[in-house]
Amino acid sequence: MTEVFERLLAAATGRWAELNALPWVRVSTGMMGAAAGARDTLDALRDHIARSGIQATVSEVGTSGLCYAEPLVDIVVPGGPRVLYANVGPETVPEIVERHILNGEPVVPLALASVDADVPGLPRREQLPMMQHQVRIALRNAGEIEPADLYQYIARGGFAGLDKALGEMDPQKVIQEIKDSGLRGRGGAAFPTGLKWSFLSGNPSPVKYILCNCEEGDPGAFNDKTILDADPFTLIEGCIIAGFAAGASNGIVFIRHGNDSPIDRTRAALSACYANGILGRRVMGTDFAFDIEVSLVGESYVAGEETALMEAVEGKRAMPRFRPPFPAAYGVWGKPSNINNIKTISYVPEIIRRGAGWFAGIGTEKSNGTAIACLSGDIRYPGLVEVPFGLTMRQIVEELGGGDPAGKAVKFLQTGGPLGGLLPASELDMILDFDAMAAAGAMFGSGGLIVCNETRSVVDLVRNLIAFDQMESCGKCFPCRLGTSHMLEVLDRICAGAAHEGDLALMARIGENMRAGSLCGHGQLGYNPVDSALRSFGDEFTAQIAGSGVLLIEPFIGPRVTLRGAQADGETPTASVKNDFVLQLTPVSVGAGKARPADG
Amino acid sequence: MAEAIQTITVTIDGQEIQTTPGTMLIQAASDAGIYIPFLCYHPGMKPYGACRMCVVQVEGGRGTPAACTLPVADGMVVDTKWEAAKNIRDTTLDLLLSEHPNGCLTCHRVELCGPQDICLRNVDVTDRCVTCPKNERCELKDTTRYHTRGLTSPLTFVGRNLQVETKDPFYDRDYNLCIVCARCVRACDELRGDDALAMTERAGQVLVGTMFGDSLLESGCEFCGACIDVCPVGALTETKYKWETAARTEQTICTECPVGCTLTYEVNRWDKAIRAIPELNAPVNLGQACFQGKFGFDYVNDKRRITQPLVKRGGQFVEASWDDAIRAAADGLAPHAGDGFALLASPRLTNEEMYVAQKFSRVAMRSNNVDVVSDNHPGIASGLLEVFGYAAGTMSFDDLRGAAVSMVVSANITEEQNIAAVAIKQAVRAGTQRLIVIDSREVELTRYANLWLRPFPGTDAVLLAGLLRAVIQSDLGNEGFVEGRSVGWDEMMASLEPFTPEAVAGETGVTVEDIERAAYLFATGGPAAVLFALDGATPGTELNATRAIANLAVVTGNVGASNTGVMPLYQGANQQGAYDMGVAPGAMPGHEPVGDPETMARFASLWDSPIPAAGGAGAADTFRAARDGNMKAMMLLGDHVHYDDGTFGDVAEALAALDFLVVTDGFMSDVAAQADVVFPARQSIEKTGTITNLERRVQPLRQVLTPTKGDVRTDFDILCSIARAIGAPGFAYETPNQALDEIQRIVPEYAGVSYRRLLGEGVVTPKPANDNPLPTQVRYSDVVYPGLQWPCAAGAEGTPTLYQAAFREGRAQLGLLAWTERPPNPSEFPLTLAHGRILAQQDREAAIAEENGANRITRDELLVIHSVDATELEIEDGDAIVAVTDTGKRHFGVAEISDTVFPGMIALTTLFGALASEIQASTSPDPMNHLPRLTAKRVRVEKLGATDA
Repeated sequence: MTEVFERLLAAATGRWAELNALPWVRVSTGMMGAAAGARDTLDALRDHIARSGIQATVSEVGTSGLCYAEPLVDIVVPGGPRVLYANVGPETVPEIVERHILNGEPVVPLALASVDADVPGLPRREQLPMMQHQVRIALRNAGEIEPADLYQYIARGGFAGLDKALGEMDPQKVIQEIKDSGLRGRGGAAFPTGLKWSFLSGNPSPVKYILCNCEEGDPGAFNDKTILDADPFTLIEGCIIAGFAAGASNGIVFIRHGNDSPIDRTRAALSACYANGILGRRVMGTDFAFDIEVSLVGESYVAGEETALMEAVEGKRAMPRFRPPFPAAYGVWGKPSNINNIKTISYVPEIIRRGAGWFAGIGTEKSNGTAIACLSGDIRYPGLVEVPFGLTMRQIVEELGGGDPAGKAVKFLQTGGPLGGLLPASELDMILDFDAMAAAGAMFGSGGLIVCNETRSVVDLVRNLIAFDQMESCGKCFPCRLGTSHMLEVLDRICAGAAHEGDLALMARIGENMRAGSLCGHGQLGYNPVDSALRSFGDEFTAQIAGSGVLLIEPFIGPRVTLRGAQADGETPTASVKNDFVLQLTPVSVGAGKARPADG
Repeated sequence: MAEAIQTITVTIDGQEIQTTPGTMLIQAASDAGIYIPFLCYHPGMKPYGACRMCVVQVEGGRGTPAACTLPVADGMVVDTKWEAAKNIRDTTLDLLLSEHPNGCLTCHRVELCGPQDICLRNVDVTDRCVTCPKNERCELKDTTRYHTRGLTSPLTFVGRNLQVETKDPFYDRDYNLCIVCARCVRACDELRGDDALAMTERAGQVLVGTMFGDSLLESGCEFCGACIDVCPVGALTETKYKWETAARTEQTICTECPVGCTLTYEVNRWDKAIRAIPELNAPVNLGQACFQGKFGFDYVNDKRRITQPLVKRGGQFVEASWDDAIRAAADGLAPHAGDGFALLASPRLTNEEMYVAQKFSRVAMRSNNVDVVSDNHPGIASGLLEVFGYAAGTMSFDDLRGAAVSMVVSANITEEQNIAAVAIKQAVRAGTQRLIVIDSREVELTRYANLWLRPFPGTDAVLLAGLLRAVIQSDLGNEGFVEGRSVGWDEMMASLEPFTPEAVAGETGVTVEDIERAAYLFATGGPAAVLFALDGATPGTELNATRAIANLAVVTGNVGASNTGVMPLYQGANQQGAYDMGVAPGAMPGHEPVGDPETMARFASLWDSPIPAAGGAGAADTFRAARDGNMKAMMLLGDHVHYDDGTFGDVAEALAALDFLVVTDGFMSDVAAQADVVFPARQSIEKTGTITNLERRVQPLRQVLTPTKGDVRTDFDILCSIARAIGAPGFAYETPNQALDEIQRIVPEYAGVSYRRLLGEGVVTPKPANDNPLPTQVRYSDVVYPGLQWPCAAGAEGTPTLYQAAFREGRAQLGLLAWTERPPNPSEFPLTLAHGRILAQQDREAAIAEENGANRITRDELLVIHSVDATELEIEDGDAIVAVTDTGKRHFGVAEISDTVFPGMIALTTLFGALASEIQASTSPDPMNHLPRLTAKRVRVEKLGATDA
């Protein structure tokens, strides 16, 4: 154990004991909590506690994944049970403070679950539908600790992995450990992480970069942001270990600007690491030097593409570069670079701490560990779940997600982000497994699962996805820039009931051209939504084209960006229109009044 | 020893070709004459991989890689015509044509079609290819033809309906035709380092546009035209002669500045030059040009050209026949033979004309008063001559490109010798070169500088000597080089005595630390190059400054080896050639000193005529003598900015005092108006000959135009005719070629330079054809003439880097340095103005006004003044003030009190865009020949009262 870590561990243990000696209130004020009004709840809580004159610690934490229950308040009084309260608004705060904190009695009617102890009338947290089957590795600290508090992180086992790597292992051994664990990239391509690192470690350049990609621009995906929001240290620790293993000198955490909470918390965590000798010229007092910085980018989905990301880090317009040369040879500022998804890196500390064998024992044969899925759409419990590979989609949607809130049948899942595809209900028994899914032509991608019930129109959803792809094309390569625009126009026609003969063939021609000819993944995958929809729901398209379709779609509710000069509502596309893009689902019901946006 | 270049074999469409590893496939194919369609790729730029037209199939490879981004590998087997790749191209082209007016592109009978014909395809007149300014050189058209696209497409055509941008100087932007290949953006960034253009919006809306603003004037555009040259469609076009089509093209050398770029001129069927396109394969400019070369040639087409000789009779010019005019000139000049005659030549003349001009002066007029008018710093030539042996730059542009450190001394190089600056900008941006700028002005290069020393205007000589001393004192010199290759160390060291760091810092205002930093960087940073123009040097200090620079190069060993050297930045296009040919009061052809009895005897015998023995007067002295009544007759060959910018004092007064004046010029200029005889002279684009650039490269001028109106002759003919009329021997040349033969015999450095070689050793480049569409820039050049760099012995190769083995006299003669204080300003002009110019200023808004359909910069400039002077003049921050120069020019601006300048100094930094719009609006027939120079001016500053504002 390094001296630095020994000292930190002692301080952390003390801090943890201190925290538990007083009533401890944890409010989930991350992005989801804040969206649900957690700021008001937090203010009310602080106010009441101060007025009642009790000594209590009020902490802001990230989401635990139970997004449907936000704002979530987690209260533990020394000697008492730890209780979670769901959907706490300022109006219920006085009762909770008085009864639970002052008198030590959990308010059962307002509570969601208890943690680690039985409270009569309350389920245990792990008995909640959404918590079943979950195995928390990357999300182990989500909702449990204050995100930027180094001591809390260390008290829960943090930085032990880094300490082990620096103290007991050499870079080759770390890489071997990661290889043995079978960890594969969680960004979508599922490339073996250890192998990827070994490419970088072989390069003799003195300056090498580990890039952690949190661009995460997909509608319906929020797991990378959540990790930074709830537990940035796990990413930082993983990044330092990756840097050590690959002999890198710098780490860059790449986040889309506007995600203030993850950005601020990551920056605070980085300062804490610098202040405590975990980053800088002598990491944990060893000779290994490593720096991490946060790099922001404007709204651009394609900036998450690895070469576009490098351009953006350099301060240029985020447009993909051609390959070769590959990033491992020529990356940021021309230096060897390695790009990893936030989730991938977040598994690393626990793999090192608990060993490759432990990690390899979770999941299926070729897909080790867990998958983090973001559930949204027509679902009872939208939120974030971390489940081992091998579960079926049906288990995730119907057991964890609770199925459709109105009990309607699931029609299909939209997976893999806007460049992914549609998974019809008939394939819900597919198991979560990189290779099984790839073989079936489905993508798990970055983990967004949008559930659509039987009332949803496939055609309209596809149009929405293509509108997103079109708007987010960087405009560099011709097949993608022009192809997405034309594909959107054809879909617009189909949706408006004005399809031309041969439109499906035309889309296929454009789409296949994008697939084969585009410069980067955005264009190469841009036809996927149409392609997979046509495969499973071709009838719906034909019906829609023939005019006997289930609907004439209501005028589009989302902001509409089409070809120049062909605006639906005569507006020129402005920056604000682009920024506000959200995936919108139109219910299928002829003549139904205003369409309503789906949950999530 | 250089590594042997490895050769690998690649099979493309069954044809085996040899190439080098690392070459991109498209380049390898193109070199072998195999065409792979492309739109975004350009042979002069890095690959980009956007258009996906060059997709191919590689045997055993995955998918369809783009040939422009695919490095070749040994044994690679490539199929460019594979069905799937062809499908991608066809579909991409269809998509592309869905937003580019395409009626004519997909029509098989377009060649038969005129703009006014009724079209059965309902193609709007404005959408037709025949009405596109790039019709006959459109890459998109050629590429579409190659692919034979059909008439119908299932895709909806969506035009952009954007307004054409026509308000900026020199070129129009019609983004309705843009295919977003980003070549222009890349050229601006990658080749020019300006970033004036950028991509805007994204996805279906993506387009190119200006950076930050909507006007080119404020975006940082230097109007070099690089974007126009690479544009594959009609989106970017030169405004003037936009709709003219080329009847033929001819390649020649630009004579706007001494860089000597090779340009191809397009000529229309009325024999007007309509466009200039820089030659991609020319060793000097590598496909680049500047605003002067690209847009400054139009004076040759001007209607105001003189077309007949004019003789002044009774104070009025009357047209005369050539014989009468020659006779009148000869009769007027002959009586003044001797020291009362002077000849001043424009630097645009060819070497042959320069040679004949000095021979005319020396043989026919018995006068050594012969000079090139652009040379207002004669100390530069004499300094270099003294230390190295030749009055010439020692390096070539390739050396400059390869240097690890460059130092630019008081030179507005981005405007005046632009392409030399491009070499520096590219290297600095690539990180392979570090730059020291010594300049009291803020000019474009100061923004690229790793170190910018800002001495008080006119103190360059002291600063450079201080720098030299700092190098020696810190022991950073190259002792071996000094010992083995130079003489005069002790004397030089003794002369350096007064240049103590404190004294130098006190005189120049540059801190001791900065001087030491520059010394360290220059001496230890690797192969270093010095470029200097000494703009604003006070008369008499140029010699010292040049000696200091030459000494510095010797002391640090930065001369006589590749990637090092010294390059004087002359202003005149052929100033180097003028000196080589002896158009200098103190030098005979071949840099032989006037006055040396042996030399004079040799020339007297060569020319079979007595010649004056004593040195003559230079341009400045000539005008002074004329004002004093000691000059009786003059001959001025061509016009120049120095006649009207005050360099030579009051030129009109001097000329009025003459008994007889002969002027040859294209226009009735101010000096021509005072002449007794005016001859219409051909311009450089209208004649053949040779011209020598800054790197001693002798390049052939080719005749592009023949004057269509009147009888306009070359200065060569005019000089020879007058000389023959006077009765001087040795002017019986029939062509300039014979003069070059004579030069070859007389000047050993030119011994190997003959027309036969210059034109015979051209480099053949690919020729476009129906099955090989090429970018505009490449399509005209079947051959490029790289010229020869002197010294060039008969039959030998030229010399890119001088003094590799030895200096001219064996060793370099270290120059002596004298301390010169800058002269005090006269009391009525107490301050010194350092006027700089930059391309863009992102932190200050530029106000743009539209006037007569043109954009113009109207912002208030900042006049930066030191707090001491401000207090004395009772000026406060933000006051409206005016700086009045001793030549009467008034610079209005807003006072900014800052101690970044020195007491006594005023700094003014204007935008280049202001100059560009001035040139555009100018009514002068040849505005580029009259560009204001940014020299230090003596000024007084006045506060503007409320009434003045």
